[in-house]
Amino acid sequence: MSELSIEAVHLSRRFGSFLAVDDVSFSAARGEIFGYLGANGAGKSTTIRMLCGLLAPTAGQARVAGFDVKSAPESVKASIGYMSQKFSLYLDLPVRANIEFFGGAYGLSGPDFAARADEVLRLCDLEQERNAITGSLPGGIRQRLALGCAILHRPAVLFLDEPTAGVDPVSRRHFWRFIRRLAHEGTTIFVTTHYLDEAEYCGRIGLMVDGRLVALDTPGALKKRYVPDRVLAVRGRNLDEAAGSLRGRPGIIAVEPFGAGLHLQVASTEWNADLVAAALTSAGAQAVEVEPGVPTLEDVFLAVVARPREAHAP
Amino acid sequence: MTRPARFLVRVGAMASKEVMHIRRDPRTLYMALAMPVVMLLIFGFGVSFDMDHIPLVVLDGDRSAASRALVRAVSAGREFDIAADSDEPTALRMIRRGQALVALAIPAGYQRELAAGRDGEVQLIVDGADGVVANQILAKIDGLVRAESLRRIDVAAEPPLQVKVFTLFNPEARSALFMVPGLAVYLLAIAAVLLTALTVSGEWERGSMEQLFASPVGRLEIVLGKLLPYLGLGMLQLLLVVAVGAVIFDVPIRGSATLLFLAGFLFLIGMLGQGLFISVVARNQLVATQAGALSSLLPSLLLSGMLVPIENMPRILQVLSSVVPARYFVHAMRGIMLKGSGLSILWGDLVALAIFALAIIALATARFRRRLA
Amino acid sequence: MIARPRWTVQLRAVVRKEVRQTVRDRRIMFMLIIAPLLQTVVFGFAVDFQFDHVPTLVVGHDASAQSRQHIRRLLADGTLRDAGHTTELSEVQHKLQTGDAAAALILPAGLARDLAAQRPAEVQVILDGGDPNRAVVVAGAASRYFGETAEAMVKARLAARGIAPPPLIRATPRIWFNPSLKTPPFMIPGVMTILLVITTTLVTAMGLSREREMGTLEQVLVTPIRPVLLLIGKMTPFLVIGCFDVLLVLTAGVWIFGVPLHGSLLLVATGTVLYVLSTLGIGLLISTVSRTQQQAFLAGFLFAMPAILLSGVMTPIRAMPLWLQVVTFFNPVRYYIEVLRAVLLKGAGLVDVWWRLLALLGFGLTLLTVASLRFSKRVA
Repeated sequence: MSELSIEAVHLSRRFGSFLAVDDVSFSAARGEIFGYLGANGAGKSTTIRMLCGLLAPTAGQARVAGFDVKSAPESVKASIGYMSQKFSLYLDLPVRANIEFFGGAYGLSGPDFAARADEVLRLCDLEQERNAITGSLPGGIRQRLALGCAILHRPAVLFLDEPTAGVDPVSRRHFWRFIRRLAHEGTTIFVTTHYLDEAEYCGRIGLMVDGRLVALDTPGALKKRYVPDRVLAVRGRNLDEAAGSLRGRPGIIAVEPFGAGLHLQVASTEWNADLVAAALTSAGAQAVEVEPGVPTLEDVFLAVVARPREAHAP
Repeated sequence: MTRPARFLVRVGAMASKEVMHIRRDPRTLYMALAMPVVMLLIFGFGVSFDMDHIPLVVLDGDRSAASRALVRAVSAGREFDIAADSDEPTALRMIRRGQALVALAIPAGYQRELAAGRDGEVQLIVDGADGVVANQILAKIDGLVRAESLRRIDVAAEPPLQVKVFTLFNPEARSALFMVPGLAVYLLAIAAVLLTALTVSGEWERGSMEQLFASPVGRLEIVLGKLLPYLGLGMLQLLLVVAVGAVIFDVPIRGSATLLFLAGFLFLIGMLGQGLFISVVARNQLVATQAGALSSLLPSLLLSGMLVPIENMPRILQVLSSVVPARYFVHAMRGIMLKGSGLSILWGDLVALAIFALAIIALATARFRRRLA
Repeated sequence: MIARPRWTVQLRAVVRKEVRQTVRDRRIMFMLIIAPLLQTVVFGFAVDFQFDHVPTLVVGHDASAQSRQHIRRLLADGTLRDAGHTTELSEVQHKLQTGDAAAALILPAGLARDLAAQRPAEVQVILDGGDPNRAVVVAGAASRYFGETAEAMVKARLAARGIAPPPLIRATPRIWFNPSLKTPPFMIPGVMTILLVITTTLVTAMGLSREREMGTLEQVLVTPIRPVLLLIGKMTPFLVIGCFDVLLVLTAGVWIFGVPLHGSLLLVATGTVLYVLSTLGIGLLISTVSRTQQQAFLAGFLFAMPAILLSGVMTPIRAMPLWLQVVTFFNPVRYYIEVLRAVLLKGAGLVDVWWRLLALLGFGLTLLTVASLRFSKRVA
């Protein structure tokens, strides 16, 4: 049995004249948490749909859990779990009815299933709400139910499309703890998200721009590659005007507002914290404090998306 | 600018915006113009009581020259076709299966009786399941038998007492003259209610209605502004439908066309207003559509006199029908088109239509306020 | 690894979910019980094609006792009702126009004298042709009465001269199946037919579209459930509801309106199930081509209207032009109403209606197959 849970080879999908996914190739190993980032409309959801067997690729192949998505979509579906972006369980039914339905959909029944259903309710902390009408529950709890329904049949691969969108930070942390445990137990997780701080949890990250996979590596490697320069965090007053004077000067790569201060990328050969502080102060800023910053995935994201297309290499 | 002038300007602005919406949405236009005409064509032909070539089973127990003459007399014309010449069990089977509707039973000894100077007795066996059809068949075949009876005795002398029947307004007793005006009203009613229910509630859902409320446009202006373009469409519909009736179904317009369009105008305001009211009250498009369809379908079909005469109904339903605007318009339509009735006869209908129109507009406008607050 | 899921488990899960959702939906429950009864009562009472007490204006220039006797006898059986006397001919036009009278009987001046002197006499009946059904009934009543009177007169005169009257042909009507020609036995099966097509077609059409709109459809499609099982699950509660409604309406029809039950109820049940399969099939087909619930509702509604009006429920199919009659061969509503009326009113058996049942079966299977194929394709 292959150790590769997901294999995509030159995967493409065209809608009329619009190429939503353009020649995407990657693979994910068993137990890996694979992150997928990109702007809205970059092609993330389309990719997931193809991998789930919901949409047929117009070119290329993909294998999920050992099954080909084009020739054996039903087998793929039996081996995966899926949590969609928009909540898509039955709002008018109670929690346990949703669990029973999706369990049955996966062919689970009998006392074994009853035990599993109880276990899932416990794992997702839904025991109190088992008889509540799904529509009456707040968003965070609903997401837990969606996840619960996706893992009833112990799938080999779990697809999560922006699973924590609109969920409060505490719930998000619980969620990721749970995901990591699942991965540790051998489930491959494929997740898309806009929360770049969450993306740090991923083993590897793929970045999509305009349908193409333009970057694929561990978070650390990505930062080293795309944000090789010094990152500085600046605090002070009257920074906006002063920042304008810095932009465009040789060695200054990027000046972005960050909270109440600034976030700079500078060429480490030409600038350091003291030089930047001096430049800002002479441009009219006051009480300037400059500290080395930690490159974030947001920096990576901005760097990748902002660059011209031709410069991208998979 | 004076207040009335401002009022008109705002109404005009609302109306022209609505027109733009309509032009960009071809489905609305289809619903408004194509659907009623297409349906009228289909139903005008399809919904009728006039039958020809009615299948008849001959049960000739006599097999004589006289019986054959009678059979010939009955089957010679277009009214009846001989489906079988057999016995009663066969007739029963055929009528059960719908293969025949009537049987002419001539007993053995028929010719002998006649020759002996006694009356010949025959039976007309009719499928009673459909009462209307049965009546028609009986009347037709009775007439043919009677004619044969008279022809037999070669009445040189005129019968002492004759009845001459004149049918006013519809000498050939064509169903179309009865059905087409009714169908036209029915289709107009449905189209009108659905139109406004669809479009206005759509705006509620999109949220553009709330934006409107933020502006100084008043409720009545919104209502009128929305109504006017559809009123225009509706009058166009009415014209098309009347034209189809006249050209394809030969339904005349013996009375005043102006009166017809005036009645139509008032009727349309009422129906559009009903759709508007529904969409103001309903929370979303789906509910508005359902409520609109069902509230216009049943009353217009049953209680308007379109299909079934109102005077045949029990008191309660007759009273109920008095609040259905379709009833008055059907009456006016038939009156003007078939009977050439004028204002002196139809003024009551016009007043009723006007009252309904005013009431529903007022209701819709009032309901608007509740949603604002 | 998970074994291939058993379709029995999947089907059970789908059916249970559908039933749960249906039972919770108050509108559906309303449709289940209230609406059918309401429609039965309204249709049953409202639709009456029998014409009685037709208001008739008597225009008499002849005030003789004989004329009055004729009038009395003509009005005796209740088909016609006295709507007033006048001597002005112009009032006839007016009253017919206002609708105060639907017929006018004109007895010319000197009628009695002419008859006594054995001179040919003529009465006139003027009808409002606006409603041809009613006109036919009135004309028939008048012709029959005066025809019989004329025959009696001829007989009397000839007998007075000692001549044997010539033999006439007497036609006696024998009405099979519904001797008093009442309307409810005709209409109540119509109510059942209309009810079924509206509830099953419209509701299933909207059901699938609703899942699409709410997004639950995608979640279900990601599971290994075969699309056809989904469709069967959607149909099941409404198959049951439809049959229940038919039973309800039939019971009400028999108790309240005296609808006869001449044929086999098993046949009625079989026909109902096959018909409901067809209507459900149409509903599902509509839902595969509609993106929103509202589209589905409109499509269903715009199908149901012609399907009902052109099925023989209200007006006879034989009265339609040939090209339309051919079209009705593809209308499952037609077959069902024919089966219902044949079995309930005429006591027809399987041997009489088998090909209609076969047609319904054929439609049902075809529609369901097409809907299922379309559905599977759409999600790929």
